Amino acid sequence: MPDQIHPAERLLNLVIALVNTSARMTKEQIRRSVAGYADAASDDAFERMFERDKDTLRELGIPILTVTGSGHGDDIGYRIDQEAYALPPIDLTAAELGVLSLAAQFWQDSSARVDTSRAITKLRAVGAAPEATDLVAGLAPRVSAGGEAFAPLLDAVQARQAVTFRYRAASSGEVLTRVIEPWKLLARRGGWFVVGRDRDRVAPRSFRLSRIEGRVRTVGPPEAFGEPDAAALSSVLASWSAGESRVATLAVRPERAEALRARAVEPTDELDLTDPRLARAVADRDVVHVPFTSAWELAEEVVGYGDAVVVLAPPAVRDTVLRLLRVAATLDEPRGAHG
Amino acid sequence: MAERASDRLLRMLGMITYLDRHAGVPVEQIAAHFAVTPGQVLSDVDTLWMTGTPGYFPHDLIDFDAASYEQGVVRLTESRGMTRPLRLGTREAVVLVAALRAMAAALGPSLDPERARVLGSALEKLTAATGEAAASVDVRLAVDGSPAVVAAIGAALQAGRRLRLRYVNASDVTSERDVDPMRLITDDERSYLLGWCYRAGAERLFRLDRVLGAEVLDDPIDPGHAAGARSVEFHPDPTGGLVTLHLTSRGRWVAESVPVEDVRNLADGSFEVDLRVVDQAWLRHLLLQAAGEVIEVRPASVALDVASVARSALAAYGPLADPDRG
Repeated sequence: MPDQIHPAERLLNLVIALVNTSARMTKEQIRRSVAGYADAASDDAFERMFERDKDTLRELGIPILTVTGSGHGDDIGYRIDQEAYALPPIDLTAAELGVLSLAAQFWQDSSARVDTSRAITKLRAVGAAPEATDLVAGLAPRVSAGGEAFAPLLDAVQARQAVTFRYRAASSGEVLTRVIEPWKLLARRGGWFVVGRDRDRVAPRSFRLSRIEGRVRTVGPPEAFGEPDAAALSSVLASWSAGESRVATLAVRPERAEALRARAVEPTDELDLTDPRLARAVADRDVVHVPFTSAWELAEEVVGYGDAVVVLAPPAVRDTVLRLLRVAATLDEPRGAHG
Repeated sequence: MAERASDRLLRMLGMITYLDRHAGVPVEQIAAHFAVTPGQVLSDVDTLWMTGTPGYFPHDLIDFDAASYEQGVVRLTESRGMTRPLRLGTREAVVLVAALRAMAAALGPSLDPERARVLGSALEKLTAATGEAAASVDVRLAVDGSPAVVAAIGAALQAGRRLRLRYVNASDVTSERDVDPMRLITDDERSYLLGWCYRAGAERLFRLDRVLGAEVLDDPIDPGHAAGARSVEFHPDPTGGLVTLHLTSRGRWVAESVPVEDVRNLADGSFEVDLRVVDQAWLRHLLLQAAGEVIEVRPASVALDVASVARSALAAYGPLADPDRG
């Protein structure tokens, strides 16, 4: 076999040719003159090779323009727009590159990893020196993987294109097909969510990516919807923001629940501990005041301590804990299918 | 492993831009800059040397100074107009800017001024260069340690010094341990310290919200305990005992929030998950939270254990647990 030109070399030759061409190059000119394409054994092989190369370059963010000649309709040529090709002026210090390479390790999804590693390769070209990672030594910020649905949803958000997917509802376990206009992807507390307008329900909704079953497909053209309504978006997002901070009063067994004690604050308003109904709960225990924003989250934490922690107040936290405990107390009894 | 042609292309394009900005760079330095071997740099330069505009006569080609190349220094003499850096693709910019924004928001407050400044300037430059405000992706990291603990861990990591931690484990037992810090892991659910624990004689992962106190000691960390390159993944521990939970569909969060070995969706919308459990206290806590969604637990002894813990907790409330009181 004669010296085959490496695909990377052929691609590089194509980029250089299309950047330097005075007007445009037709497919035929490319086949004849750009090093690497003469290897194509047939017309079909050339077509496949060229189409694949064009896709590769576009995937890398290299803008190939299709230029139609003044003559016949099928007289199509190509060039690369230098203005659209270039990164605006930017210089990065070694330390900044170090921070950026840390940011590149942030993602666990393979598609996002590919994107960030490409971005870093491009940015290294404008870096003053190899990335200095000593400034960020030992830091490992990261976000959990969004899974298969992440990349197509991100593309759809960017393109403002509707998508459809099969979704398993948490309430019923039922799998239904949904059509949404995706606005934003959120990572919160270990989960990825897409928020957007549900076309069938004609209302904003959020969907957990891990409950999407099968593929996410686009529906209709890009630019199909405008900026999300600010009020609608913030109402969906509001459910994710922390509520107002309050203080719970807990009765804790000596030397237990140190993690709760570590967060203790001065009480805001003193509970009447002489109340006879509290007497049993506070006997031989320390009274600890712990700030919280979500009654539900504090209750879920407290319930893990079993009888070592009793919630005295507020009732919202206490009742949530009691409800969890009452159900758990029957766990060893036979239960029905929907116990 | 063979490198993808697209990755190599990007690097070679980046090298032209870089070499246009830096006159005469030793091969080793280029290798360090692009995180490849010197051999790969030589191979890339050899390829670049053969590429250019159609015709491929000497004056059409990318060119380097041959004399300095002999000395192991790469000096670009002809770039064929390829000196401008390639812009970032939309998705590339979105994911990188979103990561920086989440890092700045979560880590910024606990970083010293110099590090905070670098993080800020990297974000600012990238946002300006890409025009990407990353409004389409919003990641919130959970920094759930106390500020004093986070600051002490950060200082110890940077100075390479040992830490003395007061730590309370999942079984609510507090202990003091000396730890060589390796990495501060901040993710969207929790923060952890990965370190070499002298008490356990092994690598351990410490939840930051359970670190009660952290003191930076004078001892340097053992160089053998420096942060490895391996990533920390949470997988089911194969040495743990097998526990199967049959849950209603509303209990789906269980499968989503803990490392599960297997999930089986059943026809009626309910499902089963298999867990590998090392720490009984952890399992007990999970089931106390999830009991309402549990149809069955195997083995049954686990259900008995959890139910008796719940009954004694209810007893501790005394009259407070009386449902009539509301």
